[in-house]
Amino acid sequence: MIDLCKHFGTLRAVDHLSLRVEPGEIFGLLGPNGSGKTTTINMLSGLSVPTSGQVHVLGYDVRRNGRQVRHLLGAVPQETALYEELSAWDNLDFHADLFGVPCREKKTRIIAILELVQLLDRKDARVNTFSGGMKRRLAIGRALLHNPQLLYLDEPTLGVDVQARWAIWDYLLTLREQGKTVLLTTNYLEEAQALCDRLAILDHGQLLAVDTPAHLRQLYGARVIELETSTMSRAIKELRRVAGVKEVRQKGLRLKITTEGTDNLLPRLINIVSCNGPLRDITVREPTLDDIFLRLTGTSLRD
Amino acid sequence: MQAPWSTLRVIWACMKKDIKSALTERSTLIQCATLPVNYLILMSLFVLSGSNAPTAVVMQDTGPYAQQFYSAMSTAHSFRLQIMRAPQAHSLLLGGKLVAVVTIPPDFDTSIARHQAVQVTVQINNLNEDLTDDVRRAMRLSVTSFYARALPKLVTIVPQEQDAYQQETDYIPFLSVSILVISLMVAGLLQAGMGAAREWEQATIKELLLAPASVWAILVGKMLGALVVGLAPVAVVLAVLIFVVGDWPAHFPMVIGVSLLTLLVFVAAGVMLGMALKQRIILTTLTRGLSVPLFFLSGVFGPLTFSTLAVQEIARLFPVHYAIVLEQFAFKGFTTNTLGLLPNSLVLCGFTLGFVLCATLAMRFSRIAH
Repeated sequence: MIDLCKHFGTLRAVDHLSLRVEPGEIFGLLGPNGSGKTTTINMLSGLSVPTSGQVHVLGYDVRRNGRQVRHLLGAVPQETALYEELSAWDNLDFHADLFGVPCREKKTRIIAILELVQLLDRKDARVNTFSGGMKRRLAIGRALLHNPQLLYLDEPTLGVDVQARWAIWDYLLTLREQGKTVLLTTNYLEEAQALCDRLAILDHGQLLAVDTPAHLRQLYGARVIELETSTMSRAIKELRRVAGVKEVRQKGLRLKITTEGTDNLLPRLINIVSCNGPLRDITVREPTLDDIFLRLTGTSLRD
Repeated sequence: MQAPWSTLRVIWACMKKDIKSALTERSTLIQCATLPVNYLILMSLFVLSGSNAPTAVVMQDTGPYAQQFYSAMSTAHSFRLQIMRAPQAHSLLLGGKLVAVVTIPPDFDTSIARHQAVQVTVQINNLNEDLTDDVRRAMRLSVTSFYARALPKLVTIVPQEQDAYQQETDYIPFLSVSILVISLMVAGLLQAGMGAAREWEQATIKELLLAPASVWAILVGKMLGALVVGLAPVAVVLAVLIFVVGDWPAHFPMVIGVSLLTLLVFVAAGVMLGMALKQRIILTTLTRGLSVPLFFLSGVFGPLTFSTLAVQEIARLFPVHYAIVLEQFAFKGFTTNTLGLLPNSLVLCGFTLGFVLCATLAMRFSRIAH
């Protein structure tokens, strides 16, 4: 995506967004509702036309080569877009015909997909009898049926229970192992952390940061290290001089050290504190993506 | 460009899927059959109630002329005649159970034989102007008919009727052909429109928009699906017309052909409306709302050319009129507009193409506007 913009009247849903998703990775678009995630992937699939900018999928311009792009894409929309009055089998059968799955392979592939999403025993049941998680699994299976190169999922675990969410995460990780490229949008931090190789953080249609979750934490996160000493520590001044230490607070025998931006500080901090006396306890609280989001936007993702 | 086989596969898949989906919505199917049959029942009731003004005849003379006058009244198509005594007739008239009381005076036969004027008293319950006018017209007709039969030498004006057709048709059989067209319209619009609007309501349109298939192949598939499903309620209506109304088609294969063409027109219109409106409730309301004025506009009770110029111009904007013309020919051999059969058929084909084109644009535009 190069300098992508989408305006709805005066609203800038996507504002000069440039991104590159590498083959074989799970890439996440993270942002609150209304941040432009769905609009971005709608433009990627050709469902929406950009106001300006370009989108290329595996070398094809989405606007000029829409049909080729749609062949390469597997889509799991937020609403699942399943025909609820039809059976799981009928949904997959229709998709196979629509996406040109070879006739001789159709039945085998449908069975394989139903097995993958663990719905083979419910193949003849109407989708409107399925739970939210089952529908979501079927939608993912359907998107995989024509063997797409790039799978995009819009809020793949929205409204599903914890168990179903884990199952969906498992499928997505399996896809990565199979070399598929996955692009997903989410506003669940745990999901982004658990799945994504790289993350783009969006807010108000603008790209705030893009990197691996670990690197984002390293760059923008504030790690809190709590050390409990056996005697009152006198190393506070020395600790504050260490590059990367943002704040040091002492409460009784406990030292609360907030670090920022750099990794590998922990051994050095332990050395400094233990010189003044033995350590009783060490607690490290990793920065969360919410912390990062808070830092980048000034608001919590949950807001 | 898609290979022809792939295109056919998409058409077949969309048709199959829409048939399966439509069969899960039986209420729509039932509606498609009941709405036109309801019109038929409504119009039949209207005819029945309008043609039978309960009228008492007080026969103070029972001579042959008086009997002939009674006979002339009974063939006037407006009276439900009962012979009564004067007090009973007046009582029923005052009680609102009779529209009129006709009294044939005691000197009726004598006066007619002497070519003298006779006063036949007609007392009318004139609360309903329409019925009152019916009685007035029917009385004049009865007098004319009586004289034409009883004293033909006195009537010097003799109509020489030259019929355009060998046999004429009654009000209900003429109307029933239009009922068939309305059933084709309702079935086409509802089935196809619901199928298209359902895609939007359930967001399954994304599955179609994200498919690497041509828009027109998807729409043709949807149209064929609606066409197949729409045939069922139309067959019910056709069966009612043939077996209940007793309206046997003169050219049965042509009835089938014209019905298929008409259904195709409205299926295309339905897909277009469904794609544009995107909501089933709006589509259902519009279909029900449209069917009533189009039913009355498009030459239901007689050829459109008998209507006013404004009505003719409006009716020509809609395919219902051309379909009625073709069905009237197929059922009864009647020609009810100045265009020939082929031009009427071509107009319907033109409407179909126009609707398909608009539906394609609506779907393409939706892709952009999403």
